[in-house]
Amino acid sequence: MKDLIDGNAAAAWGARLSRVMVVPNFPITPQTEIIETLAKWKETGEWTGEFLPMESEHSVLSAAVASEAAGARTFTASSSQGLVLMKEIHYVASGMRLPIVMVNCSRGLAAPITLWPDNNDFLSLRDSGWLMFFAQNNQEVLDFIIMAYKISENRDVLLPSIVNMEGFILSYTREPIEIPAQDVVDSFLPEYRPKVLLDPEKPMSLGVPSLHEYMYFRSQVHKAQMNALNVAERVFSEFEKTFGRSYGLVEKYMTDDADSVFVTTGSLSTTVKAAVNALRNEGRKFGLVRIVCYRPFPKKELEFLSNFENVIVLDNNLSPGMGGIVFSELRNLATAGVVVSLGGKHIGRDDFVKIGKKLSGAKGEFWYFGEKTV
Amino acid sequence: MKIRFHGRGGQGVKTLARIIGRTFFLKGYNVQDFAMYGAERRGAPVMSFVRADRNEILERGYIFNPDCIVVLDDTLNPGAVSSGLTDGFVLINTTKNADEWFPGKKVVKVNATQIALDVLGKPIVNTAMAGALAKLLDIEFEKLEKAIRIEMGEIGNVEKNIEAAERCYRACS
Repeated sequence: MKDLIDGNAAAAWGARLSRVMVVPNFPITPQTEIIETLAKWKETGEWTGEFLPMESEHSVLSAAVASEAAGARTFTASSSQGLVLMKEIHYVASGMRLPIVMVNCSRGLAAPITLWPDNNDFLSLRDSGWLMFFAQNNQEVLDFIIMAYKISENRDVLLPSIVNMEGFILSYTREPIEIPAQDVVDSFLPEYRPKVLLDPEKPMSLGVPSLHEYMYFRSQVHKAQMNALNVAERVFSEFEKTFGRSYGLVEKYMTDDADSVFVTTGSLSTTVKAAVNALRNEGRKFGLVRIVCYRPFPKKELEFLSNFENVIVLDNNLSPGMGGIVFSELRNLATAGVVVSLGGKHIGRDDFVKIGKKLSGAKGEFWYFGEKTV
Repeated sequence: MKIRFHGRGGQGVKTLARIIGRTFFLKGYNVQDFAMYGAERRGAPVMSFVRADRNEILERGYIFNPDCIVVLDDTLNPGAVSSGLTDGFVLINTTKNADEWFPGKKVVKVNATQIALDVLGKPIVNTAMAGALAKLLDIEFEKLEKAIRIEMGEIGNVEKNIEAAERCYRACS
């Protein structure tokens, strides 16, 4: 079924079609409508899972850890301040190897307060052990949730996943998307069968003190992340066979004959593609490389960046004292890094065209403050 | 096609973008519709936006160079609402001599407030303006009617809103 829906509705559909059993939740702009949509479906009986309003995001993820450990496929969503309030429990979820899936609607972190997006909230999970996927449109929000469960629940992975969309830019923007039929999703994503089950009949403790064995367990989280690279590729390919939409760890756009590329993440990517088209019309051979799967980091798939004269990384985030986070991870392959659109500062096609021209041949770190204000 | 809507909080500016977005979707277009978010509140200037294209839409975010501007309230600053408009037209709800507010631009005036008062009994002009815009964009009324049914379904008063839209659609030429 094709419908015109926003990113929040797409996320709710992703959860519903994945037949999630428990949704602990707490509202925050701009993700509240994900939870409201599930609440509405709970009322109408279109979704029959447990809807648990909690007193804070810290409690939300604590409840998610408990329900997932008890064998229930669990989903939640948050944003910005809410996501960082969960932070303590993010590490618990990955260390306890619980395949929770959540959605983040990116929003700049206070202070000062903004309601608009940048990726510092999402990237604060970089070292937590969660699998991390950047959606570039509402279709990917829905598709990635379904795929994230399949990747996370794989016995070679058993790690939680987070799917990111930019708040407002996707969460409150409607686009036509394909909502797959429930029976097709069921054939792709079977019922969750936990490897270890918290069962009152057979009492046990999970996530206990390990002291000197801590390093072993965290190394296992890393190993599971590296396994997820292969598992994700297999899941992408099975998804394409089932649903006809093709995804990869990295997306390449017009790179075959390019001499220069932008490296992007998330929904900025579609506007940058428009800029690539405009630069091509002027005879400049630009392309785009989009990092779809951020953790595990697709190092091997990104090695080909060394073939280009200009590799311009666009960072919609900032590590103060270091610079753009993606640029710093690609320092050995990138020629220039630009910090853009913090807190949702408008950036359009013509801005990226300008950046592409100005940074051809340039090396180092840059900022683009933009001109347009509303 | 890039359309920017201007009005004041409470006039249905966001719903208007959704109705027009849905209308293009029903015609088989790719669509983006969204509203400005910030400190929006009743009476404050607000905006909403629609992009519609037969091809994939790549650009995102606010529309600074619209093909068409729709103004629901004639007390807004004309210079601000018409910024970035080049070849297209301004559709404005007014009874005043609005042409001189937008020098060199094509201006279409419609008294949507009167139609809304007559049909709905209150000056919420979004569906009346949807009717006028659909006519100016050569969209068949049946598509707009279906879009209003879908978008106003949860808000209510659907039949009256369709009547307001139709009155304005027929009044526009």
